[in-house]
Amino acid sequence: MSEVLGEDPEVILAERRYDAIARIMESAVRKEEGKWTFTDMLDHVFLHRALGIPLFLVLLWAVFQFTFAFSEPFMVMVEVFFGWLGGLAAAGIANPQLASFVADGLCGGVGSVLVFVPPIFMLFLALAILEDSGYLSRAAFVMDRVMYKLGLHGRSFIPMISGFGCNIPAIMATRSIESEKDRMITILVNPLISCGARLPVYVLIGGALFGAAAGTAVFSMYVLGIALAILMALIFRKTLFKGKPAPFVLELPHYMVPTAKTAILHMWERGKLFLIRAGTIIFVVVVLLWFLSVYPWAATNGGEIIENSYVAGLGKAIQPIFAPFGWDWMTSVAIIFGFLAKEVVVATYAMLLGTGEEAVGDTLVSMGLFTPLTGYAFMAFVLIYVPCVATIGAIWRETNSWKWPVFTMVYLTVLAFVVSGLIIGIGRLLGYT
Amino acid sequence: MTDFDIGKGKTIGIYAAVIGVVYLVLGVIEVFGGAGDVIPGDLFGGLALVVIAATFLYGIKDTFDGDHKGLSFIIGGFFLSAVFGILYLLLMGADGLMFLLGEVEEFSVLADFRPAIWMFILSLPLAYLAWGLTKDVTW
Repeated sequence: MSEVLGEDPEVILAERRYDAIARIMESAVRKEEGKWTFTDMLDHVFLHRALGIPLFLVLLWAVFQFTFAFSEPFMVMVEVFFGWLGGLAAAGIANPQLASFVADGLCGGVGSVLVFVPPIFMLFLALAILEDSGYLSRAAFVMDRVMYKLGLHGRSFIPMISGFGCNIPAIMATRSIESEKDRMITILVNPLISCGARLPVYVLIGGALFGAAAGTAVFSMYVLGIALAILMALIFRKTLFKGKPAPFVLELPHYMVPTAKTAILHMWERGKLFLIRAGTIIFVVVVLLWFLSVYPWAATNGGEIIENSYVAGLGKAIQPIFAPFGWDWMTSVAIIFGFLAKEVVVATYAMLLGTGEEAVGDTLVSMGLFTPLTGYAFMAFVLIYVPCVATIGAIWRETNSWKWPVFTMVYLTVLAFVVSGLIIGIGRLLGYT
Repeated sequence: MTDFDIGKGKTIGIYAAVIGVVYLVLGVIEVFGGAGDVIPGDLFGGLALVVIAATFLYGIKDTFDGDHKGLSFIIGGFFLSAVFGILYLLLMGADGLMFLLGEVEEFSVLADFRPAIWMFILSLPLAYLAWGLTKDVTW
């Protein structure tokens, strides 16, 4: 049928459906005569067959430029504050173990994560502006054609976009997808959409290794995540969940000028999750990491010789797994603890390198822990490998089975190794070290 | 039968063509490494300028023909121009703040005054003219 019609029959059906809706609207709704609305005008451009997707990508790139570059001075301010606080604690607390705990553990560890509050809030602010303006629904509409061809349902796009904030509510949002197969595919690929918790890792590594191109490096991670999600959806559609996605009809709201109050409220609603995590799971993990990095106290000389610590032992035991990528034991530890919460990757480096928040990136480079190639592969690994514990829990709740969370962890880990390996392999072929 | 005064449409069409071509040239220069401090090399930034150029240029023929669809592309192109102009103005402010915080040694307004900013300023009269013309549009 596709050959005869020259187009997928489902796409033609969807187009006919829209035509029918337009005819009914024409006969049932009386518009102000001759009035050409602002929404009509912008839709003509943003929903354009050829320009729609490039415009979406360009706007997404602008969001990440804003997120990365505009938040820089605010990050410096937070860094300076925690540096000052850590110095105060180190100088003012007589007990060396307590001083180490407060200065290195709390101020260094939790502080190194809180430094990323500005870019995370900027990202959520930019997404809130796009959402409140009515553009995000257009993006779903524009992407539907591509997504349908690749086996994803158009409605999957909204949970995928929500995944930029946090994968947990995004996975819960898949409840709006009626077809069970479409819903399962959307749940399984959602962890590939880069959540806010991964942003600190990209900003840290990208900022340290890519200089002026850091914003583009961060943007490329988000594009890589979307591309992999689409690829995996296609694979799942052809194997585990055979069939065609259900047709997609979407009501587009009018474009509106977002109000500052609503945009800030939306930003706060999403951003506060990050602050809550910093005060709960990240705090607990950082305390555990501090303990493992300074004990045995005598052998590490009060945390001075980290090579003798428990965490170094753990890192060196698992490091051979990551050795082909050129990653050392500290990176191996960061990957393992990142399973609990991705932000912890940054805190791990702050703790293990024993530097202030402001110097973590520079120290990563000066110690030769990463080259641009191995750093980029590491960013990709953090994007793809096992999602955080809370996301695994959400997949379990939404699928009502342990089979799918386990499957997700396995396929994502394999994919992370494959993609990072490809980045390293292709990079080396191109002459990068 | 045209949707608006064809004489005004031609004026706007020519203006949009000039803006579109300048965006295209700037975008290509940025993609291929830039030219001095005034047009820095920026692959994705350059591609963004090329997409803005395409949006402006897409609407020219219809605007010349007096078709309201042409104005959509000019307004849409201006919208993008504003997004990027304001974005780079914000980034200029952030760089200034970094200088005040002592994080960077120098802050050059000239180097930070990216093409997207001056193109946004140059496209303001075009948006004003096109927006004015949309009021005359009848079906």
